[in-house]
Order: sequence, then structure tokens, then C-alpha cells
Amino acid sequence: MILVVIDHVAGVPRRGALELVSAARALGGEIAAVVLGGAAAGPAAETLAGFVPRVVHVDDPSLDHASHERRTTALASVVADVGAQIVLLTAGRGGQAVGPRLAMRLGGALLEDVAAVRREQASVIAERLAFLSRAHLTVRAEAAPVIVSVKPGAYPAAEPAETAGLVTPRPVAYGPVDEAVRLGERRAAARGRVALEEADVVVCGGRGLGDADAFERLAVGLADDLNAGVASTRAVVDAGWRPYDEQVGQTGKNVAPRLYLALGVSGAVQHLSGMNRSGTVVAINRDGDAPIFKVADYGVVGDVHEVVPALRAALAGLD
Amino acid sequence: MIIATYVKHVPDAEARLDAAGGRIEVDDHAYALDGMDEYGVEAAVRLKEAGLADEVVALAIGPARAEAALRTALALGADRAVLLETDDELDPLAQAAPLAEATRACGAELLFVGGKQADWDSAALGPAVAEALGWPLCDWTTELRLEAGEVAAVHDVDDGSEDWRAPLPVVVTTQQGLNEPRYPTLPNIMKAKRKPLDRRPLAVPARVVTLDAALPSRARRGVRLEGDAATVASELARRLRDEAKVL
Amino acid sequence: MDFALPDDLVALQHAVRDFARREIAPVAAGLDREPRFPRATLRKMGEMGLLGILTPEAYGGLGLGYLAYAVLLEEIAAADAAHATIASVTNGMPQSLILAHGSSAQRDRWLPRLAAGEAIGAFCLTEPHAGSDAAALRTRARRVEGGYRLDGSKAWITSGGEADVYLVLAKTDPEAGARGISAFVLERETPGLSFGAPERKLGQHAAITTSVRLDDAFVPDDQRLGEEGQGFAMAMSALDGGRVGIAAQALGIARAAFAAAARHADEREAFGRPIREFQGIGFKLADMATRIEAARLLTQRAAWLLDRGRRATKEVSMAKLAASEAAVFVCDAAVQVFGGYGYSADYPVERYLRDARVTTLYEGTSEIQRVVISRQIHRENAR
Repeated sequence: MILVVIDHVAGVPRRGALELVSAARALGGEIAAVVLGGAAAGPAAETLAGFVPRVVHVDDPSLDHASHERRTTALASVVADVGAQIVLLTAGRGGQAVGPRLAMRLGGALLEDVAAVRREQASVIAERLAFLSRAHLTVRAEAAPVIVSVKPGAYPAAEPAETAGLVTPRPVAYGPVDEAVRLGERRAAARGRVALEEADVVVCGGRGLGDADAFERLAVGLADDLNAGVASTRAVVDAGWRPYDEQVGQTGKNVAPRLYLALGVSGAVQHLSGMNRSGTVVAINRDGDAPIFKVADYGVVGDVHEVVPALRAALAGLD
Repeated sequence: MIIATYVKHVPDAEARLDAAGGRIEVDDHAYALDGMDEYGVEAAVRLKEAGLADEVVALAIGPARAEAALRTALALGADRAVLLETDDELDPLAQAAPLAEATRACGAELLFVGGKQADWDSAALGPAVAEALGWPLCDWTTELRLEAGEVAAVHDVDDGSEDWRAPLPVVVTTQQGLNEPRYPTLPNIMKAKRKPLDRRPLAVPARVVTLDAALPSRARRGVRLEGDAATVASELARRLRDEAKVL
Repeated sequence: MDFALPDDLVALQHAVRDFARREIAPVAAGLDREPRFPRATLRKMGEMGLLGILTPEAYGGLGLGYLAYAVLLEEIAAADAAHATIASVTNGMPQSLILAHGSSAQRDRWLPRLAAGEAIGAFCLTEPHAGSDAAALRTRARRVEGGYRLDGSKAWITSGGEADVYLVLAKTDPEAGARGISAFVLERETPGLSFGAPERKLGQHAAITTSVRLDDAFVPDDQRLGEEGQGFAMAMSALDGGRVGIAAQALGIARAAFAAAARHADEREAFGRPIREFQGIGFKLADMATRIEAARLLTQRAAWLLDRGRRATKEVSMAKLAASEAAVFVCDAAVQVFGGYGYSADYPVERYLRDARVTTLYEGTSEIQRVVISRQIHRENAR
């Protein structure tokens, strides 16, 4: 039995949820889905019933905004209920904490942030990156059950099933650690701008832009023209020009847009590890020796203050 | 109060990786303290400097060379260090139980773990050891205060940030923005040689094994555009539209 | 014979390499284009302990030897030559002479500030007409009530106008040649002490270099270092340490240039393959690497001898000669490997060459080093 953990926002399943269904179907075997949350989660459970034969809805309003500990306890009880040997979660901020806790709780193994997962006889094997995304590993779980966190975008979204599934509710009993954490206000990341990890085009500004004003004029300006997400290097965030939630790299976000433009970015390995899976990379930097040029499809050795305005004009002038 | 901080000895960002026969090889001299763990060591040392803790203990799991990461932590202000020594490549979950035990053994009520590890590219150790300890976890922490036996923090969630509070004992995983780590100054590196470092052998089974490893290199076009800004810009725009087809 | 550096020193080397990569290297190109004295990085270097490497811990220094000094200075220079020059000057004469010849009060007054990098030191010996022939200096120190009045001018002073503490050599007895020279320590705000505009040099622009003028500058007795007439001998005895530092600096610049050239040779393709596969380039890289290794071994051995209190004048001069000439050779060869790009300011190798070129000129020209070596050889053979 494969259990798929469905993340949702106010009853709407997140993009990754249907990708997990595809992954589960590729693994083969019985599939069930679990949705956590109160009545507001009901629609998500109903939606998933169109894709999998069985959906367990842990109907507890405290789970609408709950600690990792609490969510882990809820999921652990469902895993036990359905007898899952494999649990699939989306690798995001939430899955990153719950997956390992769940695996430890159940005495199993964790295959983390995988690009692909398959079964070979009794083993579960996955493909994932390591060493700051420089190495490609094939790994095998040596304990059970196997918790797998799946990289968003690794699988296509599933098509609906032919027959509708059943939604069953399930209560949960919590332990002391589940009561320990008090969560406060949740604040959405600002800006009304395209979310970085989902953007098709990302413009990243580096220290070579010179100062915060130039960043705004050149990087944000170009991003506006392209309806792109805005990213920064660690150096820019350290300098205080931009907030750290724009940071791409080892200690920031990993992005893989179709087009990534690096303006005044030197290309330290820690940064490259966060963007090297991008489709097309453009680099503009005045230092021809900068490492960013090794990963660029198109490189311009020049002054960003001249090249970026010229590029904006050229893009505007394209038919 | 005693604070424990986990440090990992990982390949330096500039290290050369070689994939020989399905294993990643790195020169022994190309390792350093994981940058993510620096935030944890810094946070622990600042709490001690503020008089909120009595002792900072640095913990590491790894082969003998991992001692260098502990010496760096000692140079950054930790008081003593423990190396759980093993030559095995252990996945984060396999490390969690021994780390939990070492944390309990040193009497810590607060454990810092780097938000992500630079060798496994994993964020699992913090949550896994929190589970092994039975402690709550504040992950991807960007602000942290200790108030009357409680941790009051701000941490990242999927779409933004959130306030988090829980009474000690707690596990905190770190990320950029939590603080600005200090450099280990040369005088402190020299003093750190005299701080206590215990080595204890470790033998636990791995829960994930690596079957194969490769270093894929993605071929990039590597086109260099030359000329004045206007010429370069119009050629770039044209190529992005017609050649790369991304516009 | 164990050629490996001691583990403790390797730990320090790694820490400095990391620090230099994060703090010094990123500002190097910008400071070359728009020069200014790098106060911010110097402050951080002071906190690291890099500005008082040889000074004893009792005065706030690291109390390390010349081998450590050479290793650490090479790391700084590999990130930026100008920072290494400023560091080697402030680490060198000012601190070593005050330590060796200063009174207890003088040591307490200046060493802690210099070792911590709270004050930057400069050394004023060279004059417009007295470079290699330093004893021919003309700056005069006339005895007056309670001290001396200094008059004269100094040339090519690293950190001129920016340093806080100046070690000045002046003639107290013009008739006595080298034995008429005395050493004085002046603070920057001393009335009568003024500085020319920064020299427009070929390279190392951030290592601000100026002329220094003394117009009837009063220096009290307690700021004379040692006895009258001892100044020149003091300075000469400290030469070896300074030369080891410059040798290390030259190695650092050479290493950076070589690394850039080797990388470029791997990436740049011509006629369908990386250019390192052509013997013209491969042979060049082999020569560059060999000369760097040879110079490094000479430098480390000279430092090792100094650390054991042994005479090392010949070895130090050989190291300085070999390292500085290797640096110029390697940087020039690196430009050649880069081809047309080597001539462009968009690539770092032209800066490395400009920075390296002065290493055969200061701290004793290559000609002076050859004079020293030949004299030492003669002394050895004469026994």
C-alpha cells in the first residue's frame, strides 16, 4: 500500500499533490491519499477521490495550522491504519520536516528530495542529487516503511481515475510533544511578485550590480519587463540590499526556471547549486573569468549598467 | 543551561569531486565545517555570551578527519567537543539516534542543527533527531529568543514565515538570516587546540545506501556575445527568442 | 625530511584561505579600478590576527614564526597583492624593531595597537636619492631640548598618509655614514609630518604609496628607538624577515595567476580541443608550476632557518630573488595563455602582472639580492 500525503491550501490541492499520484501509480500497487485539516480540507479530499480509490480525511481543525509534531502524529496513525509500506510527500518546507520525523517514528527509512522512485523486487530505489546538486546518486532504502519526499515537478500531474474513490474520516489522538508548540501569526511572503520556485523566468542580481538602487533599476526592472521572479545571491542579501527569501543557492532556494538571467553574479558553487538545473542561463558580468560563465548558455562580458538597459530596450523592440 | 550544536565536516564548496566506480571521492584536505552549521554555532555562542547558557558542546559524527570541524567550532566559541567516530557513510536518519543519545548525555536542553547538509543535500537530520529525542523542532529558523525557559522564534513555512514558541528542550535548525557568523580568528584557533575533545567509536547500520554515484555535466551552449552593449543586447534578445525559444 | 607543513599551521592556513576568499578577493578588482586604502578589510584582518603574526602573544600578537608568516601572507597575496603589501609592511619593520629595540614603555605603547591592527604601521627609509644605497639617506634629525627636529623627505612609503605609526630613519650624525642613522617612531598627527599625493603606480593601487615630508617635525626623546647611531644596523638586522614576507607575497600572486591560466587552458577551446592539449600551452604551464614550487621550497626553507635562529641571509635573498622573478615570469606567461583576453581588464591576469612587477623592485631589487648572494658565497668560499 502506498500512502500519498496531500498538501492543500484552503481546500485546493497544491500542484505537487497530483504529481505524487503519478509517482504512486508508477510504483504500482494499492494507493490511498491522506488529507489533514478541518472542514476546510474537505474539498481537497473530494478532489483527490477523483484520482485515488481511497482518501482518508483526518478531520481536525487544529491541523489547518499545526506544528510538524502534530502533523506527524496524525500521519503516523493513518500509515498504521492503511498498512502503508511507502509514503509519498512533496519535498517542500513542510515535507522536509514531517518526512524525517515520520520515518523515525515508524522506524523506517527516508528517501529525500528524489527526482524518481521505483521498486525493484522488495527494494525501493530512488534517484536524487547530492554535494550541492553536483552529484547524481542512486539510493536504496534499507528499512521499512519507506518515506519518500518527491521533488516538485519531477512527475507530471496525474489524470483523473475512471471511478471515484471513497473519502473516510479519521480522528487522531495526540501526545505531549504535539501540544508543546504554539504557533503564531503566519505571514505570507510579500511582494505580489511571482513566487520564485514556480516562476518560468527568474532574474537574479548579484553584488556586481553595485548597490541596492542599481539592483532595483536593473534587476527588478528587467524582471518586471519579463514578468519574472526576482532572485538574489547571498552576497546581495548579506549586504542588506534584498530580503533573504529571494536568495537562491545552498542556503536559500533551489529554482529551475526555463530562463535564468544572472546579472553581476560571480557564480560561487553555493549559488550554482541553487540554479544549475535552469533551462537556459544568461550571464552578464564584467569579470570574464567569473565562474558563472561556465554554466551559461549565453555569456556577456560587460558592464551590467550598460548591457541591461540595452537588453530591456532590445526586448521591448522585438516583434 | 547547556546547549549542544551539531557540526558536519563536508566537502568545501570549491572541492573537486571525482566519481570513481560509482562512489564520490573527495580529497581529504578539501573538507570544511558546513556553512549551515556555522549559524548554529554562532547562535549557541551568542546565547552563552549573553549569559543565558553555561556551556556549548559541539557534536559531530564522522571519520577521524571530522575533528577539524569540531576544532573550528571550538575556535568559534564552543567549550568542548565530542566526535562519534565512524568511517561509514551514514544517512541522516541513521545518525539521528546516536546524535540524540549524545545530546542527552551532555545534558543539553537546546540543540542546533544546520538546516541543510552540504554532502547529502539533506534537511532531514534536524527533524529526525528531534523525533529521536521526543523534542519539538523549530526548523528554518530566522529569529530566535530565549525567554523564561521557552524558545520564541520566527521560522520559514511554505509560503512565508510564522511565529513559533515552545518550552525547552527544543531542537532548532538554522538558515541564513539567523545571524552573521563570526570568523574563527587565528588566536582562537590556537586556543581551541587546548579545549577538550572526546572521541567515541560509533557503529550503527545505515538506513539508506548509495548504489551508484555520477557527476553529470550538463552541456551548456557556452556562447559568448561580443561587441558594444546595443549590439550584444539585440543579438541576445534575438537568440533567446529564436534559438533558445524561451521568450 | 618531512616536507609537509605542521597540522596546526595547516589549520591556520585553511582559516586564512577561507577568510581571504570571502573578504579580500571580492574587493580586489574594484580597488584596483577605484583605489582607496582598504580600511574595512584591514580591520577584519586585524581581528583575525593577521596584522601581528610575529609579535608575541603578550602584546596581542600571534607569536608565530617566519614559516607561519610566509604561509599566511601567501594566502593573503593570492587574494590580493595590495592587501599583502600593507600587511607585510605593518607586520614587519615597525613591530619587529619596536619589539627588538624598544624600551618596555615603547613596546607597551605601540605593539598592542599595531598587533591588533588598530594602528597601521609604515616604514620610512627610502628617499628620492637613496634607494638601494639606503645609508646615503639625507633626512636630518637635529638634537634639540627634549628631543629632535626632523627635516627631509622620504619616497615610496607604503601606507603613506594612511598609516597611524611611522618608523622613520634619519641622520643624527651626518659625518658618520651608516652609523650616524637613528630610528624614530612618529604618530601620523605629528606637526611637521606631511604626505604627498598617492603615487600613480603600475599596480597594487590600493597599497597607497606616497612621499613623506618632515618639516621641522619635533620628536621627543622617548620616541627614539634604541641608541643614536643604531638605526641602520637595526633595520638591516630585520631585513631578512621582510624579504621572506615579500617572497611569500610573490608566491601568492604567482599562484593566483597560475590557477587562472590553468583553468582557462582547460576551458578555452581552439581547433576543437582545450588549449592545454597543445604543447605550447602545456609546456608553459609546466614551467610556471615548477618555478612556483622551487621558489616556495626556497622560501619555506629560509623561513625554517630563521625560526631556528640560524643565519639565513643567503637563503632569504635566494628566496626573494627566486619568488619575485618567478612571479613576474608566471604572470606574464599567464597573460600569454589567455591570449587577447589576457590584455583585457575584464580578466584578472593583467592585474596580477601589474601587481607582481614591483616584487623585483622593492624590499631590495633583484640586483641587490644578487649582490647579497654573491657576497655570501664569497664568504663561504673564503673559509
